[in-house]
Amino acid sequence: MTGTLMRMLLVEDERKVADFVARGLREERFAVDVAYDGEVGWEMASKRQYDVIILDIMLPGISGTEVLRRLHQQGGTVPVLVLTARDSLSDKAENFEAGADDYLTKPFAFAELLMRVRALLRRPPANRAGLLRVADLEVDRMTQQVRRGGKRIELTPKEFGLLEYLVAHAGEVLSRTMIVENVWDRSFVNLTNIVDVYVRHLRSKVDDPFPIKLIHTVRGAGYSVGEGKGP
Amino acid sequence: MNTRSLEFRLIGWYAGLLFGLFGILGVSTYWVLRTSLAGSLKENQLRRARQIGQLLREEIERRDEGGVGAQVQARYAPDLNDRFVRIARQDGGLVYLSPGPRSQSFDPAAVPPPEWTGEEERAREVPLVGGRRMLLAGHPVKMPGSGLYLVEVGAPMDEVQADLRHWLVFLLAMLPVVGGIALGGGYVLVKRALAPVDRISRSAERISSHNLSERLPVPHTGDELERLSVALNHMIERLDEAFQHSRRFVADASHELRTPLTVVRGELESFVTDEGLSAEWRERLGSALEEVDRLASIVEGLFAISRLDAGEAASEWVTFDLGRLVASTADQMALLAEDKKIQVACTGSKGVWVQGDRARMKQVVVNLLDNAIKYTPEGGAVSLKVEAGNGKAILEVADNGPGIPAEALTRVFERFFRVDKARSRQEGGAGLGLSIVKSICAAHHGGVDVTSEPGRGSRFRVELPSARPNAGNDPDENGP
Repeated sequence: MTGTLMRMLLVEDERKVADFVARGLREERFAVDVAYDGEVGWEMASKRQYDVIILDIMLPGISGTEVLRRLHQQGGTVPVLVLTARDSLSDKAENFEAGADDYLTKPFAFAELLMRVRALLRRPPANRAGLLRVADLEVDRMTQQVRRGGKRIELTPKEFGLLEYLVAHAGEVLSRTMIVENVWDRSFVNLTNIVDVYVRHLRSKVDDPFPIKLIHTVRGAGYSVGEGKGP
Repeated sequence: MNTRSLEFRLIGWYAGLLFGLFGILGVSTYWVLRTSLAGSLKENQLRRARQIGQLLREEIERRDEGGVGAQVQARYAPDLNDRFVRIARQDGGLVYLSPGPRSQSFDPAAVPPPEWTGEEERAREVPLVGGRRMLLAGHPVKMPGSGLYLVEVGAPMDEVQADLRHWLVFLLAMLPVVGGIALGGGYVLVKRALAPVDRISRSAERISSHNLSERLPVPHTGDELERLSVALNHMIERLDEAFQHSRRFVADASHELRTPLTVVRGELESFVTDEGLSAEWRERLGSALEEVDRLASIVEGLFAISRLDAGEAASEWVTFDLGRLVASTADQMALLAEDKKIQVACTGSKGVWVQGDRARMKQVVVNLLDNAIKYTPEGGAVSLKVEAGNGKAILEVADNGPGIPAEALTRVFERFFRVDKARSRQEGGAGLGLSIVKSICAAHHGGVDVTSEPGRGSRFRVELPSARPNAGNDPDENGP
């Protein structure tokens, strides 16, 4: 995060959820304002210019959907990430119609929230270039080739997809659920051991022959790729 | 034949009743016939005896009793008419005895002697040789001066007995006919009467937990059948309510659990990714996080099932190739099997079309295949087969693992049911995979069942209604 401080509004009535989300975002150097109900949230949103709004749907006072609708009517262009414990289809459709830009269902991993917020800010730290690099590991998106220390490593398409996703988000902790959803699809969500199996295969090719390990397991949280011992 | 069935008992009662009526009718007609035949025979003989008595009176008044025999013979010719005529005097003299009849049907000499009972007419039955009987009508004639005479006219009862025998034979001959009509008629009647009950029970059979909103057709006949249908419908309504309550409860409960789970996960995550944390603490918190993840996936699973069971609309409803979906899914999961050195044979014939939600159908394939791989020992084999037939699309997932014990077989699709509790928990399963499969299949108007031979493996079979292929309208080669 370079340049100006990103300012965001978090509207969430569950104080504990609001607290850890706000804390986590501040650690990531966001300036976070918190509102605990729809009334206050709407007031803050209409008075001040935010770069992104994180909005819970089930709010006392004015509902999140209503806040969305008002923001939209006002002609605001602030990207909104909606948080909800509901994920039935009609809810989703309703909120997207009202102007939500993205959607996150509770319980979510903070890393995923962070990733989505960054995506909304169109400033993803993820490297979008054709060539990704971590230490001496090179992942070429164009040619789908992987080299480490100049040595070519052969990967299957799925292994490449997994490595590409991990390396593109180097330095972040990626939960198994996030990995499954991005590299496979939602059908495999309850099959998180598929991630472990693929990571093991990937390690045997990418890490095992080299002294420095790049793929790290963060117990309980998922995996991360980086030079250090991981975050 | 089920002798305790309502049908059998009704037919039995009906036929029994008809038989009984026939019996009573037969016996009473027999008795009436016998009385009337004997009565008319008696009347005839008495009349004849009176006529002969008159003749006797006239003869005696004219001359004496001696000429009456010839008169009787000339007028009535009893021997030709098979009749017996005897005129006796009270003092023991026999005035006239008819000769033996031509038909030899009786011997006049063997007829029992007259019985004197005063001046009253009387008819009696007397036995003849050979068990036959004769009706003997006596008409006393009192003549002043010459004393009391008795004119007796007798007729063998053979004719009456023959008529009665004919009637009996006829009754016996009618017995099987009546029996046939009773049974056949009873069968038809009972069938007709029970047909609506059959219809009601067949409709009731179709209603399961997935279509409790349906109701039985109510015949507006104002009878027991209407009341039965209405009562059953009320019961289904109450069941429906109970099911809805339980679904709503599960949905609400899993919904309510999400926020606290978010908090727990968020707080733990912020620790786990904290670099200042010692390895031991990181390990402990990580372990707690893993459990939170499992809890979250159970909550998700329950929520998904309650939504499917509530019949919530699928996000998409398209026609797609099940064979292709299975092949691509198996491909994506190949490494899982490879990791355990399990051979996966996919004999999916492509071009087996079904209609539905591809993402959910894929979930079915993933869960079944994952299950098969999980419970097959290293080096085992798993086979996937897709075929079409009889308007159905069929997916079979078979393994050669340890199989499922018979007593657990019917329960594997229940929520949280595990065959081997310790082991599957270790594998991280919540025991919801197969019930999700079942709910998805039901939402696709299909079903899933399982057969297993302990020690030899299990076979899961998904049946879905097949659909017409849509020409080149499959946007995604590899499924969702």
